[in-house]
Amino acid sequence: MNIELENVYKIYNQGRANEVTALHAVSLAIEPHSMICLRGASGSGKSTLLSVIGCVFPPTSGKASVAGKQISRLPARFLGLYRRQVIGFIFQKFNVLPELSVLDNVTLPLLPLGISPKTRQLRAEPLLEKLSISHRRDFPADEISGGELQRVAIARALINDPPFLLADEPTAHLDTKLSLEFMEIVSDLKASGKTVVIASHDPLVTDHGSVDSVVDIRDGRIV
Amino acid sequence: MQTNFWQRHLNILDYALSSLWRRKLKNGGIAIIFSLVIFLMASFQLLTQSLETTAEKTLSFAPDITLQRLSAGRQVSVPENRIESLAAIFGIRQITPRVWGYHFDEKNGANYTVLGLSSGILQQADLPLAYGRLPKKGKQGEVVISTSVRKSLGLENRKSFTLFRSDLSQISFTVVGIFSENTDILTGDTILMDLEDARDLFRLNNSQVTDLAVSVINPAETNTIAAKISSLMPDTRVLTRSQIRKTYRAVFGWRSGFGSVCLLTALASFVILAWDKASGLSQEEKREIAILKFLGFQINDILALRFWESITVACSSFLLGLTLAYIHVASFEGSLFKPILVGWSVLRPSLNLAPALTFADLLLVFSYSVLPYLAATIIPAWRSAVIRAETII
Repeated sequence: MNIELENVYKIYNQGRANEVTALHAVSLAIEPHSMICLRGASGSGKSTLLSVIGCVFPPTSGKASVAGKQISRLPARFLGLYRRQVIGFIFQKFNVLPELSVLDNVTLPLLPLGISPKTRQLRAEPLLEKLSISHRRDFPADEISGGELQRVAIARALINDPPFLLADEPTAHLDTKLSLEFMEIVSDLKASGKTVVIASHDPLVTDHGSVDSVVDIRDGRIV
Repeated sequence: MQTNFWQRHLNILDYALSSLWRRKLKNGGIAIIFSLVIFLMASFQLLTQSLETTAEKTLSFAPDITLQRLSAGRQVSVPENRIESLAAIFGIRQITPRVWGYHFDEKNGANYTVLGLSSGILQQADLPLAYGRLPKKGKQGEVVISTSVRKSLGLENRKSFTLFRSDLSQISFTVVGIFSENTDILTGDTILMDLEDARDLFRLNNSQVTDLAVSVINPAETNTIAAKISSLMPDTRVLTRSQIRKTYRAVFGWRSGFGSVCLLTALASFVILAWDKASGLSQEEKREIAILKFLGFQINDILALRFWESITVACSSFLLGLTLAYIHVASFEGSLFKPILVGWSVLRPSLNLAPALTFADLLLVFSYSVLPYLAATIIPAWRSAVIRAETII
């Protein structure tokens, strides 16, 4: 299961006065069970590239394949269904719902799958245990620490056991200690067989020993 | 992966309930207003139905046919000898001469209905009394009144009172019985006395009565007999019980309709408010939906979520509004709307209304309250369902 991009373009507002080409002829191959870091300044296009890889939206042109499936021309609905099966996404600001409990946040992706509450709990508990947040299970998300919030976001991304884990600037709002903790966790996930793609310009991430390669992006192009 | 349809909807319903709870101030406000609108409309509906049902029950005491004489389009007295002509019509069981009219009490503005029946008829009458008895044969001056009339006359523990004739001379009466409150809708303003006393009060001569009450042997022949009477006596107005029933229904019906139209404007305002609320999403709500879309919720999942939220609010409000309306009518006699439907007379009947709630009534109230609300909240839900997931990146 790998990720392959060939001559991918992403153009926002195509044909309009405010047209922006976020990705120019990007070609990239990511091997399974590896950890790749997409490095670039703000506005370089790394988040857009991550979104294409993460099946958030298709590229404007070019070929993109994730886990053997051509996602370039998939309609939005099928893209969403596929994303839910193969991609776990960790957001920059975590995007956890503050009034829901930790358990409810983690099991949110399982609701539309018609999985019963008992099964959802059975799936979530090992993850919470592994990430050392099971003692916060019933706490509302707005009552836990930043580090715990980060682990909730990771647990939620892993609840469907996706083969790919994507993270967009995951350490942007974390201190050094928590950033290193995060990298330790994703290293373990890589070791357990996940393919990890992180978009970041944080040296704590890009220079980490478990990162297999760093892809530099500038102005939407791989340099 | 196969999705369990029912479990999926249960999950979404569970999320919808928690979502409603998380925004309890906003949703609670809408539910309260909606309940109030339903309470008002359901009260009107129930009160109308109850009054019609009560009137229906008490109409059983009304004569099968009432015969009045008209002259120049106005009611005039009926010669008592008309009874002989009527008696010849096959199918008539009994003819009761009645003297009745209105007595206006200037002191308190009350208008009493004075009804005089012959002593023979009085003895046969099966009139429900709260206590006391009917006027005795041969005893002049004895009356039966309602509780409202007693209060209006200021009798308290006294039993005697006087009324004025048209020449301002007085005639004394003694209360011997009080009507049961169950018949208040008909007897609320009534003073029942012997026929001769009523003639004396209204200065009617001995051969005249106000009208004739006719009872028939076979109720199915009422209209046929009424037609025969009409052709036998062209100068009379012949009223059957079913015609009186239609009149009651018409009076309650148009008043109820008028009230309902006024309340419909309140409902329309609420539906517009609901549409406005459903159309406009706060930043927080948009973000939440974008997160759900990103985590795998599809458009139909978001629509299902909005549907369950709306139906929960609608059904809760419906049940609450309907319950309050039932209590309002059953325990408080629909006091908010009773004056509109029953009238503003000084002597208001005291009604023990048992709200008659049929399935048709439930369906009617549900249709003109819940369905418009669902339409107003679910149609704009499409806007939230198509929020793009990438807006949170």
